[in-house]
Amino acid sequence: MTTANDVLSALQSAFPGAIQEFRVEADNRLWATVDPNKIVEICEFLRDEQDFDHYSGAAGVDKIDEALFEVTEILASHGAHPVVALLKVKTPRDAPSVKSLTDLFWNANWYEREIWEMFGINFEDHPGLYPLLLVDELVGSWPWRKDFKGYPDYNTNERVLEIINPDGYAEYKISPTEAEIEAGTVPETRPEYPTFREREIMELETESEMILHLGPQHAIVPGPFMLDLKVDGERVKKAYLDVGYIHKGIEKILENRTYIQGIPITDRMCYLAALSNNEAFCGAIERLMEIEVPERAQYIRVILEELSRIQSHLLGTGEFLSLIGGVTYSPFQWMIIDREETVSCIESVTGARITHSFIRPGGVRNDLPDGFAEMTRSALKTVVDKTNEYKELFLSDSMYEMRMAGIGVLSPEEARRLGVSGPPLRASDTPYDMRREDPILVYPDLDFDVISRKEGDSKARVEVRLDEIIESCHIVEQCLDQIPGGPIQEKVPKKIKPNPGEAYYRVEDPRGEMGIFLVSDGTDKPVKVKVRGPVFAYFQALPPLLEGAYVADVVAIAGSMDACTSEVDR
Amino acid sequence: MVLSTIVEPITDFVAQEPKIAGLIIGLIAAAIISSVTNVGAMGIVWLERKVLGDMTNRFGPSRVGTRWGILQLVADAIKLFTKEDSIPRGADKPVYVWAPIVACMTTMLVAAVLPWGALNIGGVVYPLVAVNMDISAFFVEAALSLMAIAAFMAGWGSNNKYSMLGAFRGIARMISYEVPMGICVISVAVMAHSLNIVEIVEAQSIWYIIAQPLGFVIFMIALITDLGRVPFDQSEAEEEIIAGYVTEYGGIRWGLLYFQEYITMLLGSVLLVHLYLGGWNGPTIPVITILSPMIWFLMKVILVLVFLIWVRGSLIRFRIDQVTDLGWKWLLPLSLVNLVWAVAIGMYFA
Amino acid sequence: MGISDVVPIPVVIDEELEKWTVWGRPLTNVWLTTTEKIHEIIDMGPIKNILNWGRKNSLWFLMQPMGCCGVEMLVFGCPHYDCDRFGIIPRATPRQADVLIISGYITRKYMPAIKNLWEQMLEPKWVIAIGECAISGGPFYDSYNIINNTSDFFPIDVYVPGCPPRPEQFIRGFRELQEKIKRREDKRGY
Repeated sequence: MTTANDVLSALQSAFPGAIQEFRVEADNRLWATVDPNKIVEICEFLRDEQDFDHYSGAAGVDKIDEALFEVTEILASHGAHPVVALLKVKTPRDAPSVKSLTDLFWNANWYEREIWEMFGINFEDHPGLYPLLLVDELVGSWPWRKDFKGYPDYNTNERVLEIINPDGYAEYKISPTEAEIEAGTVPETRPEYPTFREREIMELETESEMILHLGPQHAIVPGPFMLDLKVDGERVKKAYLDVGYIHKGIEKILENRTYIQGIPITDRMCYLAALSNNEAFCGAIERLMEIEVPERAQYIRVILEELSRIQSHLLGTGEFLSLIGGVTYSPFQWMIIDREETVSCIESVTGARITHSFIRPGGVRNDLPDGFAEMTRSALKTVVDKTNEYKELFLSDSMYEMRMAGIGVLSPEEARRLGVSGPPLRASDTPYDMRREDPILVYPDLDFDVISRKEGDSKARVEVRLDEIIESCHIVEQCLDQIPGGPIQEKVPKKIKPNPGEAYYRVEDPRGEMGIFLVSDGTDKPVKVKVRGPVFAYFQALPPLLEGAYVADVVAIAGSMDACTSEVDR
Repeated sequence: MVLSTIVEPITDFVAQEPKIAGLIIGLIAAAIISSVTNVGAMGIVWLERKVLGDMTNRFGPSRVGTRWGILQLVADAIKLFTKEDSIPRGADKPVYVWAPIVACMTTMLVAAVLPWGALNIGGVVYPLVAVNMDISAFFVEAALSLMAIAAFMAGWGSNNKYSMLGAFRGIARMISYEVPMGICVISVAVMAHSLNIVEIVEAQSIWYIIAQPLGFVIFMIALITDLGRVPFDQSEAEEEIIAGYVTEYGGIRWGLLYFQEYITMLLGSVLLVHLYLGGWNGPTIPVITILSPMIWFLMKVILVLVFLIWVRGSLIRFRIDQVTDLGWKWLLPLSLVNLVWAVAIGMYFA
Repeated sequence: MGISDVVPIPVVIDEELEKWTVWGRPLTNVWLTTTEKIHEIIDMGPIKNILNWGRKNSLWFLMQPMGCCGVEMLVFGCPHYDCDRFGIIPRATPRQADVLIISGYITRKYMPAIKNLWEQMLEPKWVIAIGECAISGGPFYDSYNIINNTSDFFPIDVYVPGCPPRPEQFIRGFRELQEKIKRREDKRGY
């Protein structure tokens, strides 16, 4: 098995002098600062020679004291070895520019666009450096820089100008006051680029093609995003995705909160996986503070995270069924009934239905209530029975087969190239699960299978989710049997101040690989929190998947991905 | 006596002025039929919400008007009537405005020639039909397909991309299913030696569902398609194209289109009952002999309606290419087989 | 312009008619009518009560999930909570909806879209703000991209606090709106 030291020595022998600094945190974490001119070659070497075929994301950090920007490229492997390499590239703050990795990794595209619009770091040779999450009027003010001064407020309705554009759409613009211009909150120069609408209209070729907007408000969307289809009749020629309609700037907000205050914010990143988000954030803090969580607390965390996975999969599958069968399709509503049972189990511990804020650095907030084990066991029994029934139903329903089989097929190579993770990746014959790859908590002690399917189509994705529900029930039952007594909270200081440094912590979200990249400078507030969400990666992979499909299949494909817009936009 | 003093002037008037008398009788019949169909449609919407609620462990409407929620549809109708009237910018105004009206006219055309049950007076069964047309079975089947025209007008006139896609889907679906449906009607007519629905019902000493099981299945599928219900509701697939051809309609204009859908559902069920389930035929119920055919007729219609609602709650939607595929490649050949079968059986028993 | 402006009416009839009243209003207002006068009369009489009874019992909301509350909105229409009991059902198109549920943070990018949705809805229409984000920005009050003062843009009738509120609170919010409509105290005066 390759370890971080092996990778480091291979790099040092292949590129002498290019590794400026390095740190081997553990067998599976390699931190290195590399020469900005050699980053592309190093990544190519890692991808081709060392099996780093999984581009996991990129994070920008504003080091205002050193007048530097740091871009951290996160590379991992799809199962060949467990090493995660985090390569840092430094660039001066006055003219920030680094080399783009889009030629090597297709899915680097969105991550680099995000860093560009938030920090203003230019990416050389990027194919289309357009804003992704921000509205056009904010581009140029670079909101994630530490010296960002805010932006004109929508404080009264009178300041809002209504402009009717030639298509008949009303647009709302807000003009800054003079005081705001003096305070320097409005950028003087803005980058120039064609807007989203202009870009898609440029690509219309013949008279019979048209752009069909699904969103921002549409029955298909689980939260506002715009999926624009270039259609010729019922055929989709090309798809465009515009996100950022509920961009809240969580990563910026987290920088202004103490660590404990940050936990409720992480809940709201993805409201169906709140516990996994808590876990990722607290886990990163624990890794920096080097504290060990008591065993009972670890078991409680596993129980709750698996219950949360069950409810998320039930809702995701149910919502998907409502998309292909209408809201009156009975199995959808039956799944919601099962979900309510699971949610009430979680609620009996955490006191909330979907936003829990339950996990703390070094433990959990409170202990399991009396009678929790019996209640959960009976609820899980119902869930398992019903899930088996759904599986049988979908297996015997030939109409379901006609609609789902062979739709939106992702081959294993394609799935890895596009960077999807979680159930869609596992449905494409790649058993890649963070619980196995990067084990945390008590997962190594538990007996569970990583579910995978060979087909890679919509049907397989749903099957993987249904099987995972049963597998999660199995895990929870084991935990309930094995859970030891003892404390639930390690002693931590009242004011949490992690040691200066960086940590990258990955958990298996219900939707896939969720990673938190945390930079601390020893104060009670983080310098930078980068959220590497699974749905961000799916979404990037959605447009190529939709090409050539029918309009009706768009629903079947996008729905089977089980998207969560809130986490894409953050 | 008293009765004759009323009846005699009327018969005299009818003899003297047959055209005016016909007009008056027609207007009365139209009033009765339109109220029956509209109230029936409201009943169906209520039934659907209740039955679907039961299927998914819910109650359905249960607050407005007793615990059965029977006034729910009245409330909906009042609200729809008093909504703002709007015509979207860029709409083809006359087409947009006339689409709901064409839909209404279509359903009234069909309702006029369909028998609405029968009464047994002194051993003789009198069918309740406004216009007893000779080719009524064929007329009904043809007029039902006019709904697709109304839907197309609505979709085209709205100046909306979703509406247009919905309209195209509706037309493609209608064309591929009218043919097998027509052939099924012909098969029934061949066996009954008549195209008149009343005579078809009277000819069913054995229900045609037993004589032509294949024809019944084909007609049922084609009927669901014609009604545009799940699994064949591509033209208004809510999750794909918002609300299909009615996306831009709101208020009473949408209310009319919406009610026409349910009226068509009622008419389709009545047609199915007449063609395959023996209409009002059934053993005479003692005591209420007069109403006995009516009761059988209503029971059958409600059974078919509940079946249609059941289908809606338990099946997923087809894709439009699969729908046309099924129509042309499977139902059309099978309906021809059924026609041959009907001719053979008909000749054997004749 | 009423009929009286076109057709001269004999004085005697006019005087006689002015004595007749309907619900305290002179009948002439109805007889020599304009649309506004009809509306005035409807507004004060029992007819309006009947119309409002229909409206309050048939509040269809726009399916437009925005944040955490969007999940609870989905559950609100499903078993256990079942909004259909009150005649409340979701619609996918704004033209057929009566209630706009603001179920989350409104961002700068989404503002034009949601404003368009609101304007596409047909009168009479109401807004319910659900969750802290929709009321005041909630946990994201200091974000550069969130609009805190939703009530300046929409005439919000009912505020449902919670982060996110439970589905029961959705039902409560709708009941409050029904009460308001019944008492004719809603913001837009229906």
